[in-house]
Amino acid sequence: MIKRILLQAFAIVAICALPGKLTAQNGKLILKFVHLANEKKIIRNDSVYSTPNGEPYTISKLRYYVSEIGSGKPSRNIFLVDAFGPDSIEMKLPAGHYQQLSFLLGVDSLLNCSGAQDGALDPLKDMFWTWNSGYVMFKLEGKSDSSHADLNRIEQHIGGYKGENKTMRRITLNLPEKLVIDQKKTHTVVIEVDLDKYWNKASISANPVIVIPGTLAKRAADNFPLMFRVKSIL
Amino acid sequence: MTLVVALMAALLGAAKDDGFGPYKPTPLKLSIPKGWPKPNSDIFAKNKLTEEGFELGRKLFYDGNLSKDGATSCGSCHQQFAAFSTYDHDLSHGINNTFTDRNAPSLVNLAWMTSYHWDGGINHIEVQPLSPITAHNEMGETLENIIAKLNADSSYSRYFKAAFGDKAITSQRILKALAQFTGSLISSNSRYDQWKNGTLKFTPVEESGYALYKANCSSCHREPLFTDNSFHNNGLPLNRFGDAGRQRITGLSSDSLKFKVPSLRNVQYSVPYMHDGRFNDLDKVITHYTSGINYLQPTLDSILQKPIVFTERQKLELIYFLYTLTDTSFTKNKRFAPAQPITIKH
Repeated sequence: MIKRILLQAFAIVAICALPGKLTAQNGKLILKFVHLANEKKIIRNDSVYSTPNGEPYTISKLRYYVSEIGSGKPSRNIFLVDAFGPDSIEMKLPAGHYQQLSFLLGVDSLLNCSGAQDGALDPLKDMFWTWNSGYVMFKLEGKSDSSHADLNRIEQHIGGYKGENKTMRRITLNLPEKLVIDQKKTHTVVIEVDLDKYWNKASISANPVIVIPGTLAKRAADNFPLMFRVKSIL
Repeated sequence: MTLVVALMAALLGAAKDDGFGPYKPTPLKLSIPKGWPKPNSDIFAKNKLTEEGFELGRKLFYDGNLSKDGATSCGSCHQQFAAFSTYDHDLSHGINNTFTDRNAPSLVNLAWMTSYHWDGGINHIEVQPLSPITAHNEMGETLENIIAKLNADSSYSRYFKAAFGDKAITSQRILKALAQFTGSLISSNSRYDQWKNGTLKFTPVEESGYALYKANCSSCHREPLFTDNSFHNNGLPLNRFGDAGRQRITGLSSDSLKFKVPSLRNVQYSVPYMHDGRFNDLDKVITHYTSGINYLQPTLDSILQKPIVFTERQKLELIYFLYTLTDTSFTKNKRFAPAQPITIKH
Protein backbone atom coordinates (compact mmCIF):
# COMPACT_ATOMS: atom_id res chain seq x y z
CA MET A 1 0.00 0.00 0.00
CA ILE A 2 2.75 2.38 1.04
CA LYS A 3 4.65 1.32 -2.05
CA ARG A 4 1.68 2.17 -4.24
CA ILE A 5 1.24 5.60 -2.65
CA LEU A 6 4.92 6.31 -3.16
CA LEU A 7 4.73 5.22 -6.78
CA GLN A 8 1.72 7.45 -7.36
CA ALA A 9 3.46 10.33 -5.63
CA PHE A 10 6.48 9.77 -7.84
CA ALA A 11 4.30 9.68 -10.95
CA ILE A 12 2.76 13.03 -10.04
CA VAL A 13 6.18 14.53 -9.40
CA ALA A 14 7.37 13.14 -12.72
CA ILE A 15 4.46 14.68 -14.59
CA CYS A 16 5.01 18.01 -12.90
CA ALA A 17 8.67 17.92 -13.57
CA LEU A 18 8.55 16.75 -17.17
CA PRO A 19 5.51 18.24 -18.84
CA GLY A 20 7.03 17.83 -22.30
CA LYS A 21 7.37 14.05 -22.06
CA LEU A 22 3.69 13.22 -22.09
CA THR A 23 2.52 14.71 -25.32
CA ALA A 24 -1.03 15.70 -26.00
CA GLN A 25 -0.46 15.31 -29.74
CA ASN A 26 -0.65 11.52 -29.93
CA GLY A 27 -3.69 9.39 -30.52
CA LYS A 28 -4.23 5.66 -30.53
CA LEU A 29 -4.86 3.57 -33.60
CA ILE A 30 -5.70 -0.09 -33.99
CA LEU A 31 -4.95 -2.01 -37.17
CA LYS A 32 -6.90 -5.21 -37.59
CA PHE A 33 -5.68 -7.59 -40.26
CA VAL A 34 -8.18 -9.93 -41.86
CA HIS A 35 -6.55 -12.71 -43.85
CA LEU A 36 -8.27 -13.95 -46.96
CA ALA A 37 -7.72 -16.67 -49.51
CA ASN A 38 -10.12 -17.13 -52.41
CA GLU A 39 -12.10 -14.27 -50.87
CA LYS A 40 -12.77 -16.27 -47.69
CA LYS A 41 -11.37 -15.69 -44.23
CA ILE A 42 -8.65 -18.30 -43.83
CA ILE A 43 -9.03 -21.23 -41.48
CA ARG A 44 -6.05 -23.11 -40.10
CA ASN A 45 -5.23 -26.48 -41.64
CA ASP A 46 -8.74 -27.64 -42.52
CA SER A 47 -9.69 -25.59 -45.57
CA VAL A 48 -8.22 -26.12 -48.99
CA TYR A 49 -7.57 -23.00 -51.04
CA SER A 50 -6.41 -22.56 -54.55
CA THR A 51 -3.61 -20.38 -55.89
CA PRO A 52 -4.38 -18.26 -58.98
CA ASN A 53 -2.40 -20.96 -60.77
CA GLY A 54 -4.99 -23.53 -59.70
CA GLU A 55 -2.83 -25.38 -57.17
CA PRO A 56 -4.54 -26.51 -53.96
CA TYR A 57 -3.05 -25.69 -50.55
CA THR A 58 -3.80 -25.49 -46.85
CA ILE A 59 -2.41 -23.00 -44.36
CA SER A 60 -0.97 -23.87 -40.95
CA LYS A 61 0.96 -20.70 -40.20
CA LEU A 62 0.94 -17.09 -41.37
CA ARG A 63 3.01 -14.46 -39.62
CA TYR A 64 4.72 -11.29 -40.66
CA TYR A 65 6.29 -8.14 -39.30
CA VAL A 66 4.65 -4.75 -39.55
CA SER A 67 6.77 -1.76 -38.57
CA GLU A 68 7.38 1.94 -39.15
CA ILE A 69 3.66 2.64 -39.16
CA GLY A 70 2.54 6.13 -40.03
CA SER A 71 2.12 8.44 -42.89
CA GLY A 72 5.50 9.77 -43.81
CA LYS A 73 6.69 9.58 -40.22
CA PRO A 74 8.20 6.16 -39.56
CA SER A 75 8.13 5.00 -35.94
CA ARG A 76 10.21 2.33 -34.28
CA ASN A 77 7.18 0.31 -33.26
CA ILE A 78 7.47 -3.25 -34.53
CA PHE A 79 4.67 -5.80 -34.47
CA LEU A 80 4.44 -9.45 -35.34
CA VAL A 81 1.05 -10.16 -36.86
CA ASP A 82 -0.18 -13.73 -36.56
CA ALA A 83 -3.19 -14.76 -38.65
CA PHE A 84 -3.98 -17.45 -36.08
CA GLY A 85 -2.96 -15.40 -33.06
CA PRO A 86 -2.84 -11.68 -32.34
CA ASP A 87 -4.09 -10.15 -35.59
CA SER A 88 -4.74 -6.68 -34.23
CA ILE A 89 -2.05 -4.22 -33.29
CA GLU A 90 -2.35 -1.02 -31.32
CA MET A 91 -0.04 1.95 -31.56
CA LYS A 92 0.24 5.64 -30.93
CA LEU A 93 0.47 7.98 -33.86
CA PRO A 94 0.81 11.74 -34.10
CA ALA A 95 -2.61 13.35 -34.04
CA GLY A 96 -3.87 14.61 -37.35
CA HIS A 97 -5.92 13.88 -40.43
CA TYR A 98 -4.64 10.94 -42.45
CA GLN A 99 -5.42 10.38 -46.13
CA GLN A 100 -3.12 7.38 -46.42
CA LEU A 101 -1.66 4.79 -44.15
CA SER A 102 1.84 3.54 -44.66
CA PHE A 103 3.89 0.81 -43.02
CA LEU A 104 6.88 -1.38 -43.66
CA LEU A 105 6.17 -5.05 -44.19
CA GLY A 106 9.27 -6.44 -42.54
CA VAL A 107 12.06 -5.17 -40.34
CA ASP A 108 14.53 -2.39 -41.08
CA SER A 109 18.01 -3.55 -42.22
CA LEU A 110 19.78 -2.19 -39.17
CA LEU A 111 17.70 -4.29 -36.78
CA ASN A 112 18.69 -7.38 -38.75
CA CYS A 113 22.33 -6.96 -37.82
CA SER A 114 22.32 -5.32 -34.38
CA GLY A 115 22.53 -8.39 -32.16
CA ALA A 116 19.97 -9.91 -29.81
CA GLN A 117 16.64 -8.07 -29.81
CA ASP A 118 13.59 -8.32 -27.57
CA GLY A 119 9.84 -7.87 -27.87
CA ALA A 120 8.42 -8.78 -31.26
CA LEU A 121 11.98 -9.31 -32.50
CA ASP A 122 12.92 -11.82 -29.78
CA PRO A 123 14.39 -14.89 -31.52
CA LEU A 124 11.92 -16.85 -29.38
CA LYS A 125 9.29 -15.80 -31.91
CA ASP A 126 10.90 -18.17 -34.37
CA MET A 127 11.30 -15.49 -37.01
CA PHE A 128 15.13 -15.18 -36.90
CA TRP A 129 17.40 -17.36 -39.00
CA THR A 130 20.04 -19.00 -36.83
CA TRP A 131 22.50 -19.97 -39.58
CA ASN A 132 22.29 -16.91 -41.81
CA SER A 133 21.51 -13.99 -39.52
CA GLY A 134 18.46 -11.95 -40.35
CA TYR A 135 14.72 -11.90 -39.86
CA VAL A 136 12.11 -13.84 -41.77
CA MET A 137 9.90 -10.92 -42.72
CA PHE A 138 6.95 -13.05 -43.79
CA LYS A 139 6.24 -16.68 -43.03
CA LEU A 140 3.58 -18.84 -44.66
CA GLU A 141 3.43 -22.57 -44.01
CA GLY A 142 1.04 -25.28 -45.02
CA LYS A 143 0.64 -28.27 -47.31
CA SER A 144 -0.14 -28.81 -50.93
CA ASP A 145 -0.59 -31.81 -53.18
CA SER A 146 1.41 -29.81 -55.71
CA SER A 147 4.42 -29.69 -53.37
CA HIS A 148 7.20 -32.17 -54.06
CA ALA A 149 8.83 -31.32 -50.72
CA ASP A 150 8.89 -33.73 -47.78
CA LEU A 151 5.33 -34.34 -46.45
CA ASN A 152 3.97 -32.10 -49.23
CA ARG A 153 5.10 -29.11 -47.23
CA ILE A 154 4.89 -25.48 -48.21
CA GLU A 155 7.39 -23.27 -46.40
CA GLN A 156 7.60 -19.72 -47.59
CA HIS A 157 10.04 -17.99 -45.25
CA ILE A 158 10.59 -14.71 -47.01
CA GLY A 159 13.59 -12.78 -45.70
CA GLY A 160 16.80 -11.05 -46.68
CA TYR A 161 17.85 -7.54 -45.67
CA LYS A 162 20.95 -6.82 -47.74
CA GLY A 163 21.28 -4.90 -50.99
CA GLU A 164 19.48 -6.48 -53.90
CA ASN A 165 18.06 -9.25 -51.76
CA LYS A 166 16.05 -6.93 -49.53
CA THR A 167 12.58 -8.29 -48.86
CA MET A 168 11.03 -5.60 -46.69
CA ARG A 169 8.51 -3.56 -48.65
CA ARG A 170 6.80 -0.28 -47.85
CA ILE A 171 3.04 -0.60 -48.12
CA THR A 172 1.04 2.58 -48.69
CA LEU A 173 -2.71 2.24 -48.48
CA ASN A 174 -5.34 4.73 -49.54
CA LEU A 175 -8.04 5.22 -46.94
CA PRO A 176 -11.72 5.09 -47.94
CA GLU A 177 -12.39 8.11 -45.73
CA LYS A 178 -10.30 10.61 -43.84
CA LEU A 179 -8.86 9.09 -40.68
CA VAL A 180 -8.77 11.45 -37.71
CA ILE A 181 -6.30 10.53 -35.03
CA ASP A 182 -6.72 12.32 -31.75
CA GLN A 183 -7.17 11.57 -28.08
CA LYS A 184 -10.95 11.51 -28.25
CA LYS A 185 -11.53 8.29 -30.14
CA THR A 186 -9.45 5.24 -30.97
CA HIS A 187 -10.22 4.13 -34.50
CA THR A 188 -9.70 0.67 -35.93
CA VAL A 189 -8.57 0.35 -39.51
CA VAL A 190 -9.56 -3.03 -40.92
CA ILE A 191 -7.02 -4.21 -43.47
CA GLU A 192 -7.64 -7.14 -45.74
CA VAL A 193 -4.65 -9.30 -46.56
CA ASP A 194 -5.21 -11.29 -49.72
CA LEU A 195 -3.12 -14.44 -50.08
CA ASP A 196 -4.24 -14.86 -53.70
CA LYS A 197 -2.11 -11.77 -54.36
CA TYR A 198 0.82 -13.29 -52.46
CA TRP A 199 0.91 -16.23 -54.83
CA ASN A 200 0.14 -14.06 -57.82
CA LYS A 201 1.76 -15.98 -60.70
CA ALA A 202 3.96 -18.14 -58.46
CA SER A 203 3.79 -21.89 -58.71
CA ILE A 204 3.79 -24.15 -55.67
CA SER A 205 5.07 -27.08 -57.68
CA ALA A 206 8.06 -25.03 -58.82
CA ASN A 207 8.96 -23.51 -55.41
CA PRO A 208 7.10 -24.99 -52.47
CA VAL A 209 10.00 -24.12 -50.17
CA ILE A 210 11.73 -20.75 -50.06
CA VAL A 211 13.86 -20.48 -46.92
CA ILE A 212 16.88 -18.46 -48.00
CA PRO A 213 17.36 -14.88 -49.13
CA GLY A 214 17.79 -14.48 -52.88
CA THR A 215 15.95 -14.10 -56.15
CA LEU A 216 12.94 -16.26 -55.20
CA ALA A 217 12.44 -14.47 -51.89
CA LYS A 218 12.78 -11.11 -53.58
CA ARG A 219 10.22 -12.05 -56.21
CA ALA A 220 7.80 -13.17 -53.49
CA ALA A 221 8.34 -9.91 -51.60
CA ASP A 222 7.46 -7.94 -54.72
CA ASN A 223 3.92 -9.23 -54.25
CA PHE A 224 3.62 -7.86 -50.68
CA PRO A 225 2.31 -4.43 -51.74
CA LEU A 226 -0.45 -6.08 -53.80
CA MET A 227 -1.79 -8.03 -50.83
CA PHE A 228 -3.03 -5.26 -48.58
CA ARG A 229 -6.13 -3.05 -48.87
CA VAL A 230 -8.18 -1.10 -46.37
CA LYS A 231 -11.68 -2.46 -45.95
CA SER A 232 -13.11 -0.03 -43.45
CA ILE A 233 -12.43 2.36 -40.62
CA LEU A 234 -14.34 1.68 -37.42
CA MET B 1 12.99 19.88 -7.12
CA THR B 2 16.18 17.93 -7.63
CA LEU B 3 15.95 16.79 -4.03
CA VAL B 4 12.39 15.56 -4.47
CA VAL B 5 13.27 13.62 -7.60
CA ALA B 6 16.32 12.10 -5.92
CA LEU B 7 14.24 11.16 -2.88
CA MET B 8 11.55 9.58 -5.03
CA ALA B 9 14.11 7.73 -7.08
CA ALA B 10 15.68 6.38 -3.90
CA LEU B 11 12.31 5.27 -2.60
CA LEU B 12 11.44 3.69 -5.92
CA GLY B 13 14.77 1.91 -5.91
CA ALA B 14 14.09 0.63 -2.41
CA ALA B 15 10.64 -0.52 -3.42
CA LYS B 16 12.13 -2.55 -6.25
CA ASP B 17 14.64 -4.34 -4.02
CA ASP B 18 14.11 -8.08 -4.17
CA GLY B 19 16.50 -9.20 -1.51
CA PHE B 20 19.63 -9.37 -3.62
CA GLY B 21 20.73 -5.83 -2.82
CA PRO B 22 20.98 -2.83 -5.11
CA TYR B 23 21.95 -3.07 -8.78
CA LYS B 24 25.50 -1.88 -9.03
CA PRO B 25 27.32 -3.61 -11.87
CA THR B 26 31.06 -3.20 -12.09
CA PRO B 27 32.05 -1.79 -15.48
CA LEU B 28 34.71 -3.73 -17.36
CA LYS B 29 36.90 -2.24 -19.99
CA LEU B 30 37.88 -4.36 -22.96
CA SER B 31 41.65 -4.07 -22.90
CA ILE B 32 43.01 -3.48 -26.37
CA PRO B 33 46.50 -4.97 -26.75
CA LYS B 34 49.27 -2.60 -27.73
CA GLY B 35 49.49 -2.02 -31.46
CA TRP B 36 46.16 -3.68 -32.22
CA PRO B 37 43.39 -2.01 -34.21
CA LYS B 38 40.21 -0.92 -32.46
CA PRO B 39 37.76 -3.77 -31.93
CA ASN B 40 34.52 -3.97 -33.90
CA SER B 41 32.60 -1.05 -32.38
CA ASP B 42 29.34 -2.96 -32.69
CA ILE B 43 30.29 -5.63 -30.17
CA PHE B 44 29.64 -3.91 -26.86
CA ALA B 45 27.87 -0.79 -28.14
CA LYS B 46 24.48 -1.92 -26.81
CA ASN B 47 25.78 -4.48 -24.36
CA LYS B 48 27.68 -2.74 -21.61
CA LEU B 49 30.54 -4.96 -20.55
CA THR B 50 30.41 -5.57 -16.80
CA GLU B 51 31.98 -8.02 -14.39
CA GLU B 52 28.52 -9.34 -13.54
CA GLY B 53 27.54 -9.76 -17.19
CA PHE B 54 30.81 -11.55 -17.91
CA GLU B 55 30.29 -13.88 -14.92
CA LEU B 56 26.77 -14.75 -16.03
CA GLY B 57 28.11 -15.36 -19.53
CA ARG B 58 30.79 -17.66 -18.17
CA LYS B 59 28.24 -19.63 -16.13
CA LEU B 60 26.00 -20.01 -19.19
CA PHE B 61 28.92 -20.97 -21.45
CA TYR B 62 29.71 -23.95 -19.23
CA ASP B 63 26.11 -24.95 -18.47
CA GLY B 64 24.93 -28.19 -20.09
CA ASN B 65 21.34 -27.06 -19.59
CA LEU B 66 21.68 -24.99 -22.72
CA SER B 67 21.43 -28.31 -24.58
CA LYS B 68 18.66 -30.89 -24.92
CA ASP B 69 20.58 -33.65 -23.14
CA GLY B 70 21.57 -31.40 -20.26
CA ALA B 71 25.25 -32.23 -20.69
CA THR B 72 26.46 -30.52 -23.86
CA SER B 73 27.56 -27.00 -23.06
CA CYS B 74 29.25 -24.42 -25.29
CA GLY B 75 32.42 -25.43 -23.50
CA SER B 76 31.99 -29.07 -24.55
CA CYS B 77 33.08 -28.24 -28.08
CA HIS B 78 35.00 -25.06 -27.30
CA GLN B 79 37.59 -26.35 -24.86
CA GLN B 80 39.86 -23.82 -23.23
CA PHE B 81 42.96 -26.00 -23.42
CA ALA B 82 42.42 -26.21 -27.19
CA ALA B 83 42.08 -22.43 -27.46
CA PHE B 84 38.30 -22.96 -27.38
CA SER B 85 38.19 -25.38 -30.29
CA THR B 86 37.55 -29.15 -30.02
CA TYR B 87 40.92 -30.77 -29.49
CA ASP B 88 41.89 -33.55 -31.87
CA HIS B 89 38.42 -33.79 -33.43
CA ASP B 90 37.82 -33.04 -37.09
CA LEU B 91 34.12 -32.72 -36.29
CA SER B 92 32.60 -32.23 -32.85
CA HIS B 93 29.97 -34.32 -31.13
CA GLY B 94 26.43 -33.04 -30.79
CA ILE B 95 23.66 -34.55 -28.69
CA ASN B 96 22.51 -38.15 -29.35
CA ASN B 97 25.85 -39.27 -30.80
CA THR B 98 25.68 -36.89 -33.73
CA PHE B 99 28.51 -35.16 -35.55
CA THR B 100 28.71 -31.52 -36.52
CA ASP B 101 29.17 -30.62 -40.18
CA ARG B 102 32.23 -28.45 -39.65
CA ASN B 103 35.28 -28.17 -37.42
CA ALA B 104 34.64 -26.15 -34.25
CA PRO B 105 36.55 -22.90 -34.68
CA SER B 106 38.76 -21.52 -31.95
CA LEU B 107 37.04 -18.72 -30.02
CA VAL B 108 39.70 -16.06 -29.90
CA ASN B 109 39.70 -12.30 -30.31
CA LEU B 110 36.08 -12.42 -31.43
CA ALA B 111 35.65 -8.73 -30.64
CA TRP B 112 37.80 -7.97 -33.71
CA MET B 113 35.71 -10.09 -36.05
CA THR B 114 33.13 -8.76 -38.46
CA SER B 115 31.24 -12.02 -38.96
CA TYR B 116 31.18 -15.49 -37.43
CA HIS B 117 31.20 -19.10 -38.63
CA TRP B 118 33.29 -20.56 -41.44
CA ASP B 119 30.82 -19.13 -43.95
CA GLY B 120 30.40 -15.76 -42.19
CA GLY B 121 26.64 -16.36 -41.96
CA ILE B 122 26.40 -14.83 -38.51
CA ASN B 123 26.38 -11.03 -38.52
CA HIS B 124 26.69 -10.25 -34.81
CA ILE B 125 28.38 -11.93 -31.85
CA GLU B 126 25.15 -11.88 -29.82
CA VAL B 127 23.14 -13.98 -32.24
CA GLN B 128 25.83 -16.60 -32.88
CA PRO B 129 24.79 -18.96 -30.02
CA LEU B 130 21.33 -19.38 -31.60
CA SER B 131 22.92 -21.58 -34.22
CA PRO B 132 24.66 -24.23 -32.06
CA ILE B 133 21.91 -24.09 -29.42
CA THR B 134 19.16 -25.01 -31.89
CA ALA B 135 21.04 -27.22 -34.37
CA HIS B 136 19.84 -30.85 -34.06
CA ASN B 137 23.41 -32.11 -34.35
CA GLU B 138 24.84 -29.69 -31.81
CA MET B 139 22.88 -28.71 -28.70
CA GLY B 140 19.39 -29.46 -30.10
CA GLU B 141 17.52 -27.21 -27.68
CA THR B 142 14.93 -24.43 -27.92
CA LEU B 143 15.12 -21.00 -26.31
CA GLU B 144 11.79 -21.67 -24.56
CA ASN B 145 13.18 -24.79 -22.88
CA ILE B 146 16.41 -23.07 -21.90
CA ILE B 147 14.54 -20.20 -20.26
CA ALA B 148 12.33 -22.69 -18.41
CA LYS B 149 15.36 -24.68 -17.21
CA LEU B 150 17.23 -21.58 -16.09
CA ASN B 151 14.13 -20.34 -14.26
CA ALA B 152 13.97 -23.67 -12.45
CA ASP B 153 17.63 -23.38 -11.40
CA SER B 154 17.60 -21.11 -8.36
CA SER B 155 21.30 -20.28 -8.74
CA TYR B 156 20.59 -18.04 -11.73
CA SER B 157 18.33 -15.36 -10.14
CA ARG B 158 21.28 -13.78 -8.39
CA TYR B 159 23.35 -13.73 -11.58
CA PHE B 160 20.65 -12.16 -13.77
CA LYS B 161 19.83 -9.58 -11.12
CA ALA B 162 23.50 -8.67 -10.70
CA ALA B 163 24.06 -8.42 -14.44
CA PHE B 164 20.84 -6.78 -15.60
CA GLY B 165 19.11 -5.27 -12.56
CA ASP B 166 16.33 -7.79 -12.05
CA LYS B 167 15.82 -11.54 -12.07
CA ALA B 168 14.01 -11.77 -15.39
CA ILE B 169 15.53 -14.38 -17.70
CA THR B 170 15.08 -13.49 -21.36
CA SER B 171 16.70 -14.73 -24.54
CA GLN B 172 18.18 -11.28 -25.08
CA ARG B 173 19.88 -11.32 -21.68
CA ILE B 174 21.19 -14.85 -22.18
CA LEU B 175 22.66 -13.89 -25.54
CA LYS B 176 24.12 -10.61 -24.32
CA ALA B 177 25.75 -12.27 -21.31
CA LEU B 178 27.25 -15.00 -23.52
CA ALA B 179 28.62 -12.28 -25.81
CA GLN B 180 30.23 -10.56 -22.84
CA PHE B 181 32.10 -13.76 -22.03
CA THR B 182 33.06 -14.84 -25.54
CA GLY B 183 33.86 -11.29 -26.64
CA SER B 184 36.31 -11.04 -23.76
CA LEU B 185 38.33 -14.08 -24.87
CA ILE B 186 41.45 -12.20 -25.91
CA SER B 187 44.73 -13.93 -26.67
CA SER B 188 47.60 -11.46 -26.95
CA ASN B 189 50.44 -12.81 -24.84
CA SER B 190 52.15 -15.39 -27.02
CA ARG B 191 55.89 -15.60 -27.62
CA TYR B 192 55.20 -13.68 -30.83
CA ASP B 193 53.53 -10.84 -28.87
CA GLN B 194 56.37 -10.74 -26.36
CA TRP B 195 58.83 -10.61 -29.23
CA LYS B 196 56.86 -7.74 -30.81
CA ASN B 197 56.85 -5.94 -27.49
CA GLY B 198 60.62 -6.42 -27.22
CA THR B 199 60.51 -8.51 -24.07
CA LEU B 200 62.12 -11.58 -25.68
CA LYS B 201 64.08 -12.60 -28.73
CA PHE B 202 63.11 -15.13 -31.37
CA THR B 203 65.49 -18.01 -32.07
CA PRO B 204 67.09 -17.89 -35.54
CA VAL B 205 64.72 -20.67 -36.65
CA GLU B 206 61.68 -18.69 -35.48
CA GLU B 207 63.00 -15.60 -37.24
CA SER B 208 63.36 -17.52 -40.50
CA GLY B 209 59.88 -18.91 -40.01
CA TYR B 210 58.51 -15.41 -39.48
CA ALA B 211 60.10 -14.26 -42.76
CA LEU B 212 58.49 -17.21 -44.55
CA TYR B 213 55.13 -16.38 -42.96
CA LYS B 214 55.47 -12.72 -44.03
CA ALA B 215 56.26 -13.68 -47.60
CA ASN B 216 53.65 -16.43 -48.06
CA CYS B 217 50.85 -16.31 -45.50
CA SER B 218 50.44 -12.79 -44.15
CA SER B 219 48.20 -11.36 -46.85
CA CYS B 220 45.22 -13.34 -45.50
CA HIS B 221 46.47 -14.27 -42.02
CA ARG B 222 47.28 -10.64 -41.33
CA GLU B 223 49.03 -9.42 -38.19
CA PRO B 224 48.29 -8.84 -35.40
CA LEU B 225 45.05 -10.89 -35.45
CA PHE B 226 46.41 -13.38 -38.01
CA THR B 227 43.22 -13.13 -40.03
CA ASP B 228 41.81 -10.39 -42.23
CA ASN B 229 38.22 -11.60 -41.66
CA SER B 230 37.80 -12.23 -45.39
CA PHE B 231 36.67 -15.29 -47.34
CA HIS B 232 38.83 -17.25 -49.75
CA ASN B 233 38.94 -20.49 -51.68
CA ASN B 234 42.28 -22.01 -50.77
CA GLY B 235 41.99 -24.85 -53.27
CA LEU B 236 40.62 -27.65 -51.12
CA PRO B 237 38.49 -30.18 -52.99
CA LEU B 238 34.75 -30.18 -52.19
CA ASN B 239 34.19 -32.35 -49.14
CA ARG B 240 31.78 -35.27 -48.69
CA PHE B 241 29.07 -32.91 -47.37
CA GLY B 242 29.17 -30.82 -50.55
CA ASP B 243 30.01 -27.84 -48.35
CA ALA B 244 30.28 -24.81 -50.64
CA GLY B 245 31.02 -22.43 -47.74
CA ARG B 246 30.24 -18.78 -48.32
CA GLN B 247 28.05 -19.55 -51.32
CA ARG B 248 25.43 -20.98 -48.96
CA ILE B 249 25.07 -17.53 -47.42
CA THR B 250 25.33 -15.22 -50.42
CA GLY B 251 23.88 -17.53 -53.05
CA LEU B 252 26.64 -16.38 -55.41
CA SER B 253 28.51 -18.96 -57.45
CA SER B 254 31.52 -16.64 -57.25
CA ASP B 255 31.60 -17.47 -53.51
CA SER B 256 31.73 -21.21 -54.07
CA LEU B 257 34.22 -22.96 -51.75
CA LYS B 258 35.18 -19.75 -49.99
CA PHE B 259 35.65 -20.00 -46.25
CA LYS B 260 36.58 -17.50 -43.58
CA VAL B 261 40.30 -17.08 -42.92
CA PRO B 262 40.86 -18.55 -39.45
CA SER B 263 43.24 -16.82 -37.05
CA LEU B 264 46.58 -18.59 -36.67
CA ARG B 265 46.80 -17.66 -33.02
CA ASN B 266 47.12 -20.81 -30.86
CA VAL B 267 47.16 -22.88 -34.03
CA GLN B 268 49.31 -25.45 -32.19
CA TYR B 269 46.30 -26.23 -29.98
CA SER B 270 43.44 -25.77 -32.47
CA VAL B 271 44.32 -29.00 -34.30
CA PRO B 272 42.91 -30.39 -36.63
CA TYR B 273 42.67 -27.81 -39.40
CA MET B 274 40.44 -26.45 -42.18
CA HIS B 275 36.64 -26.06 -42.14
CA ASP B 276 36.14 -29.81 -41.93
CA GLY B 277 39.22 -30.63 -39.88
CA ARG B 278 40.66 -32.68 -42.72
CA PHE B 279 44.32 -32.06 -41.81
CA ASN B 280 45.47 -33.37 -38.47
CA ASP B 281 48.85 -31.64 -38.34
CA LEU B 282 50.50 -28.45 -39.54
CA ASP B 283 52.81 -30.28 -41.91
CA LYS B 284 49.76 -31.48 -43.89
CA VAL B 285 48.41 -27.93 -43.97
CA ILE B 286 51.64 -26.54 -45.40
CA THR B 287 51.92 -29.44 -47.84
CA HIS B 288 48.44 -28.55 -49.07
CA TYR B 289 49.67 -25.07 -49.98
CA THR B 290 52.82 -26.39 -51.67
CA SER B 291 51.38 -29.32 -53.59
CA GLY B 292 47.72 -30.00 -52.75
CA ILE B 293 45.85 -27.11 -54.31
CA ASN B 294 43.21 -27.88 -56.93
CA TYR B 295 44.08 -25.33 -59.63
CA LEU B 296 41.01 -26.09 -61.73
CA GLN B 297 38.58 -24.44 -59.33
CA PRO B 298 37.28 -21.23 -60.88
CA THR B 299 37.04 -19.43 -57.53
CA LEU B 300 40.57 -20.34 -56.38
CA ASP B 301 42.17 -17.31 -54.76
CA SER B 302 44.40 -15.36 -57.14
CA ILE B 303 47.22 -15.28 -54.59
CA LEU B 304 47.37 -19.07 -54.63
CA GLN B 305 47.49 -19.45 -58.42
CA LYS B 306 51.26 -19.93 -58.24
CA PRO B 307 52.39 -22.82 -56.03
CA ILE B 308 54.22 -21.89 -52.84
CA VAL B 309 57.63 -23.54 -52.74
CA PHE B 310 59.15 -24.59 -49.42
CA THR B 311 62.07 -26.86 -48.65
CA GLU B 312 61.51 -29.44 -45.89
CA ARG B 313 63.64 -27.26 -43.61
CA GLN B 314 61.57 -24.19 -44.43
CA LYS B 315 58.37 -26.07 -43.57
CA LEU B 316 59.82 -26.75 -40.13
CA GLU B 317 60.93 -23.15 -39.73
CA LEU B 318 57.41 -21.98 -40.54
CA ILE B 319 55.93 -24.44 -38.04
CA TYR B 320 58.34 -23.21 -35.36
CA PHE B 321 57.16 -19.70 -36.04
CA LEU B 322 53.51 -20.82 -35.84
CA TYR B 323 54.24 -22.30 -32.42
CA THR B 324 55.26 -18.81 -31.23
CA LEU B 325 51.57 -17.90 -31.58
CA THR B 326 50.73 -20.25 -28.71
CA ASP B 327 49.48 -18.32 -25.69
CA THR B 328 49.32 -20.51 -22.60
CA SER B 329 48.36 -17.54 -20.42
CA PHE B 330 45.16 -17.62 -22.54
CA THR B 331 44.57 -21.36 -22.54
CA LYS B 332 45.21 -21.52 -18.78
CA ASN B 333 43.56 -18.24 -17.77
CA LYS B 334 41.35 -19.12 -14.78
CA ARG B 335 39.00 -16.27 -15.65
CA PHE B 336 38.00 -18.13 -18.80
CA ALA B 337 37.62 -21.51 -17.07
CA PRO B 338 34.41 -22.69 -15.37
CA ALA B 339 33.85 -20.76 -12.14
CA GLN B 340 33.18 -24.01 -10.28
CA PRO B 341 34.44 -27.49 -11.02
CA ILE B 342 32.21 -29.21 -13.56
CA THR B 343 30.39 -32.27 -12.28
CA ILE B 344 30.78 -35.11 -14.73
CA LYS B 345 27.44 -36.81 -15.25
CA HIS B 346 27.50 -40.58 -15.67
